[in-house]
Amino acid sequence: MLSRTIRRSILDPKISSSALPPTFLLPLRARCFNTTTQHVETPSAGLDASQIPSDSVAASAEDIIKPKGPPRRKAPPAPAPITTPLAVDSSVKEMLPLLAVQPSHYINVHIHGKPYLVTQGDSVRLPFHMPGVIPGDILRLNRASSLGSRDYTLKGTPYLDERIFECRATVTGTEAEPMRVKETKKRRNRRIHTVRSKHKYTVLRISEVKIKQLEEIGEP
Amino acid sequence: MSFFRITLVRSGIGLTKRTQGVLKALGLRHRMTTVFYPVTSEVAGQIMKVKELVEVQEVDKPLTRAELRAERRPDPGFYLERPAPR
Repeated sequence: MLSRTIRRSILDPKISSSALPPTFLLPLRARCFNTTTQHVETPSAGLDASQIPSDSVAASAEDIIKPKGPPRRKAPPAPAPITTPLAVDSSVKEMLPLLAVQPSHYINVHIHGKPYLVTQGDSVRLPFHMPGVIPGDILRLNRASSLGSRDYTLKGTPYLDERIFECRATVTGTEAEPMRVKETKKRRNRRIHTVRSKHKYTVLRISEVKIKQLEEIGEP
Repeated sequence: MSFFRITLVRSGIGLTKRTQGVLKALGLRHRMTTVFYPVTSEVAGQIMKVKELVEVQEVDKPLTRAELRAERRPDPGFYLERPAPR
């Protein structure tokens, strides 16, 4: 009879709880029914900011900023055009037309300070991965240390003026080296630590090497 | 206030502990390290102790690490003229 009273009192709201014996005498099941288990649920990490009712939206926005990696690097944009007048040597004035008329030319372009001796149509595999470019991007190479042909060479000190020539390259894609595995180990210890490397390299195709005429540069 | 721009050009390996101590006090860890100190007689004395190893200039303001690195970095030598549609 007692168990039936307990059950009815739990399920039926009309029966007052004073009819029951005190809580500590009730069987365990009844005690569990009577008391709600109190526990604080911490919001999981995947909980959206919108789901949390926040009085200060700014504070929650600051707290829930996802950690970003290092910022994505972009290819350098076009620089401001050079305003200083072009200082052309007399020998350059004399022989630049002769150089320009020759059938084929080479150029020593410097990318991040490193020289690459190229001519039109060459494919260059750079020893690094260029960030912020996709296949099809056209790059204008503006640092060159020398520009020449079979009979003439124009040397810059240390670089040529970029208004004298035009050199364009197209990004053709990215290559990867074969996977290499470096094993490091201490002497007299059998544990071998393995490091895998597979670096990416950007490939360019030099699409244009052009020497401007004196009239184009602005010299008479 | 002007500053000394001190660059270690010759290494202190093989030199006396006293000289190496001066380099350590100046913060010159390895070759081509550059540090900035205000122009005072104390710093001038330290420079005199290691004057054969060091190149000094007087400048107006000290450069930060980032600015020093930007000085050494060569310019890229290219720019994106026509990007492909992304």
